[in-house]
Amino acid sequence: MRETERKADSSEEEKVQGGQRELEERVLRTGFCTGCGACVNLCPYQASYRDRTVILHHCDLAQGRCFAFCPRTPADLTDMKSRFYDEADLTHELGAVKGFFIARAAQEGNRRRSQHGGVVTALMTLALREGLIDAAVLTEKGEELLPRAVTVSEPEAAAQLGGSRFVVSPTVAEFNRALRTDCRRIGVVATPCQALAIAKMRLQPLAAAESGMDRLKLVVGLFCGWALSWRPLTDILREKTDLAAVIGMDIPPSRYHTLEVYMPEETARFSLDEITPCVRESCRSCADMTAEFSDLSVGSARLPEGWEAARLWNQVIVRTKRGRDLLELARRRGVLEFREVPAGNLEKLKAASLNKKKAANRPQGQSGAGDRMGQAG
Amino acid sequence: MSMDRGQREGDEVLLMGNEAIARGALEAGVQVAAGYPGTPSSEIIETLSRFAETGKLYVEWSTNEKVAMETAAAASFAGLRSLCVMKQNGVNVASDFLLHLAGSGTRAGMILITCDDPGALSSVNEGESRHFARLMEIPLLEPADFQEAKEMTRWAFTLSEEIRNIVMVRSVTRMSHASGNVILGALPPAVRKAEFLCDGAVSDPERGPVISAPVIEKHRLQQEKIRKAAAIFEKSPFNAYSGPERPELLIITSSACRLYSLEAVSLLDAEDRVGILKLGTTWPLPPALLKRVLSTTEKILIVEEVLPFLEEQVKILAAEQVREIGVKTFYGKNDGALPMAGELNPDLAMAAVGRILGIDPPVLSSAYRKKLRAFAGLAPRREQTFCPGCPHRASYWSIREALQRDGRGGFVCGDIGCYAMASLFPAAGFYTAKTLHAMGSGTGLASGFGKLGSFGMDQPIIAVCGDSTFYHAAIPALINAVHQNANIIFIALDNNGTAMTGFQSHPGIDINAMGDASPVVDIAALCGAIGAKVVVGDPFALQETRETLNRLMEGQQGVKVLILKQSCALSPEKKGTKRYLMQVDDALCRGDACGCNRLCTRIFRCPGLLWNREKKKAQIDEVICAGCGVCAGICPAEAIRCEEAAKS
Ligand SMILES: Cc1cc2nc3c(=O)[nH]c(=O)nc-3n(C[C@H](O)[C@H](O)[C@H](O)COP(=O)(O)OP(=O)(O)OC[C@H]3O[C@@H](n4cnc5c(N)ncnc54)[C@H](O)[C@@H]3O)c2cc1C
Ligand code: SF4
Ligand code: SF4
Repeated sequence: MRETERKADSSEEEKVQGGQRELEERVLRTGFCTGCGACVNLCPYQASYRDRTVILHHCDLAQGRCFAFCPRTPADLTDMKSRFYDEADLTHELGAVKGFFIARAAQEGNRRRSQHGGVVTALMTLALREGLIDAAVLTEKGEELLPRAVTVSEPEAAAQLGGSRFVVSPTVAEFNRALRTDCRRIGVVATPCQALAIAKMRLQPLAAAESGMDRLKLVVGLFCGWALSWRPLTDILREKTDLAAVIGMDIPPSRYHTLEVYMPEETARFSLDEITPCVRESCRSCADMTAEFSDLSVGSARLPEGWEAARLWNQVIVRTKRGRDLLELARRRGVLEFREVPAGNLEKLKAASLNKKKAANRPQGQSGAGDRMGQAG
Repeated sequence: MSMDRGQREGDEVLLMGNEAIARGALEAGVQVAAGYPGTPSSEIIETLSRFAETGKLYVEWSTNEKVAMETAAAASFAGLRSLCVMKQNGVNVASDFLLHLAGSGTRAGMILITCDDPGALSSVNEGESRHFARLMEIPLLEPADFQEAKEMTRWAFTLSEEIRNIVMVRSVTRMSHASGNVILGALPPAVRKAEFLCDGAVSDPERGPVISAPVIEKHRLQQEKIRKAAAIFEKSPFNAYSGPERPELLIITSSACRLYSLEAVSLLDAEDRVGILKLGTTWPLPPALLKRVLSTTEKILIVEEVLPFLEEQVKILAAEQVREIGVKTFYGKNDGALPMAGELNPDLAMAAVGRILGIDPPVLSSAYRKKLRAFAGLAPRREQTFCPGCPHRASYWSIREALQRDGRGGFVCGDIGCYAMASLFPAAGFYTAKTLHAMGSGTGLASGFGKLGSFGMDQPIIAVCGDSTFYHAAIPALINAVHQNANIIFIALDNNGTAMTGFQSHPGIDINAMGDASPVVDIAALCGAIGAKVVVGDPFALQETRETLNRLMEGQQGVKVLILKQSCALSPEKKGTKRYLMQVDDALCRGDACGCNRLCTRIFRCPGLLWNREKKKAQIDEVICAGCGVCAGICPAEAIRCEEAAKS
């Protein structure tokens, strides 16, 4: 009985198998690690430290969840998409698209605390308030530009956590931790790599049941050009700024070619030439710009009025029914406001997304991470 | 059986070699004894400390071997018989003083006892102290049995007084730690009064200042003393020949090798062909005696351990006297008859003698061999690791995690003590410790590594050092690191005693070798005073220790000191008591499944934790577990529970 069970299992998991050793060889040592934390908090062997995932001790299991969940181990993405999304919605450039919107938080106060139009924060706060979820895995500002992944259950607390942190946050590690608490309905805000890890977790039959992946109720994806490595970034920033005073950062569209660092009194600007070397190694080979494994994805908007107006809006790709229901609820509750999608926006987004996919497949050292960023919205 | 005050002259008692040496010193009326603990020498000071008595015998564990020798020399200068004790490499530490002491000479009898460790049974070197006798030009005596150990030690004081210089008595592990019957002599009643007479001229050996200058003059005088010793050795009863008048092969041997030689000859049934010259006075060799014995044969085998010390001396004498004694064939180390590294044993000696004489060594019956193999199989295979409840395991655990988190390839410079196991058996220290040399050298190496930042080295550097080692030799290195602004973390693994060698006292402890209350030299205060940043922590607080270490690695340049304080699990105050009663909750233990894969028994590996193969769960071995509670903090499933143990 047991024998046959195992056989069935192993044939199903034939595709990709590995444990910590393979994870180390293929991902951690090669610089492909995204720092997502999918392999952390499952066991005592890996940990997130600053923006890195580290091996504390060696594990000798031939197969482990670490390897299975990691977004940088082999997986059949086409197959995964067809399992999660309506075949009719799937596009080559952006994954599943059920709808495409320009929106922003209706309340100005919400927008002020947010990166762009505040859609993400507004949706997570709403989901908590409406009981669609009882825990939101978010990212907050930590010390010295090191973000902290946190789980919050109060809508008021979620409303405070707007703003993008351009150093990776171990969101999936925090999600793994949240799965061990008694949260029953969990929502996550995730970058593309994190969303992929979570999708892989949902597809692991055993692990998914064991850890209660059915409690995952919402994944809001963030568009992402790249993230920055903490140590080199802070080395550069420290020269011109007081890290403790930094309240936010952004990268305006590509023609500005700068990273803006916001402080209460002033804004420091760094040329992307200086910043590009800090781009996380793993991001240079990442092919997903719009978080294709989410319920809905949010990024900055592009408007004919220019960046100053556009930065207060978001582009939203709705991918699932769950995503659409949430967006419609937000419209009904007056939490979000919408405006017409300018002609050609979706095409531009597709082109930008395709650019990232192409760059990801380029040989090392030629990836144009710098200019991709600006086109990402 | 061991030595006690109730025993009298003429009693025959079973004594360990080291006790026999201590007894010899007592019979010689030793009044000051100082040493630094080190296997196989430690029992000598321990035995003497039991006989300590105000005004009669003072015994101390000094901070290091050099200080021990200086302490003993002061007593000699002040007219009291004294001795200092150390293991082989301790002589290296003391050697700078020894060079000058040998030049200045001594007054009341003073001896240096060294216990060497051929085969490095309890050492990380196979150093030989015998060579120091020649290098420093002082007499060397080597006992070959237990009675002789006692007699020789006693007589060494007499010799020292006769030539007014320090005399070296050298034992080895197999001599110091084995036991045999010894007939006791009388303990002298009279005690001398201490006074350093120093109002005379430099040339006055009785009342002058004791210095090694004028150097050339004093050096000549010292060499005269050595010639006098050689003359005395000509008639010494510690040198003895046994065997045929004209042996086919002459074995020259000393120390524990005498027994190996006797056994080899008897196993080969070659008593009528082989003679054995056993030497007790091995430097300077008595030339007339050697000439006499060498004349009786053509073939000479020198049986000694490690380097060809005797062999070379004998060859020199033979060359000098070749006209009178004729050309000889020598066997020993240089021709490969015997190995130059590792311990000797009767088998090796037998093989050498057999080859020279063309005798096949006797074959053991196959039944006997089978039995031997069966016995060997009975001994459980034990992994070398830290004891249950050992604070070092916890310290290295946190160090490992902090280094791995940091990710810049940081490493530990190890040092001498139980915690050296991290360098010797990597798994014992979770693969953190990467260097291991002399006492205090971890800190010195770290100080050097800590200056390589300007050459691009950004690996965090950690020196570990036990409390006893700290006082012994780490302080100058640490001061250097502070002064040079070396970028290092210095971790004092303070387990409140010289644990490895058996809890001898040291300056951090409030009692001395004789059990009297003593002032304490506080490590934290001392480190603070030399300008290092000091943090004190509890190694059992794993997370806190790890966080502290990561903070220190990221922190400012310079020397950061972390003192991890927690008594040794075998320390008298802890031994046999459990702080916690431990238990593994089977329902929670994840065993070897993904999510744990036996972290506790596969990686942490406290001997108190067992892997139950049937249940596939971890389990506490209640007999072995020391109840420290540390493993509860590493279990990812919180399956290891601790419950406060009732105080008895
Ligand atoms: C590393 C990174 C790169 C990005 N690159 C692009 C890009 O190229 N083009 C583009 O259009 N948009 C990009 N974005 C998304 C963009 O910055 C905004 O997050 C998005 O437009 C939503 O804006 P908002 O006002 O709705 O977000 P807010 O309401 O401010 O909410 C932001 C949400 O993001 C979460 N968050 C913040 N930092 C992180 C992090 N490091 N990891 C995971 N979650 C985080 C917070 O928990 C919060 O829920 C990027 C975001 C990140 C974190
Ligand atoms: S990408 Fe994520 S799951 Fe993969 S090794 Fe890095 S942190 Fe772990
Ligand atoms: S409590 Fe745990 S770590 Fe401590 S001695 Fe017992 S088994 Fe070992």
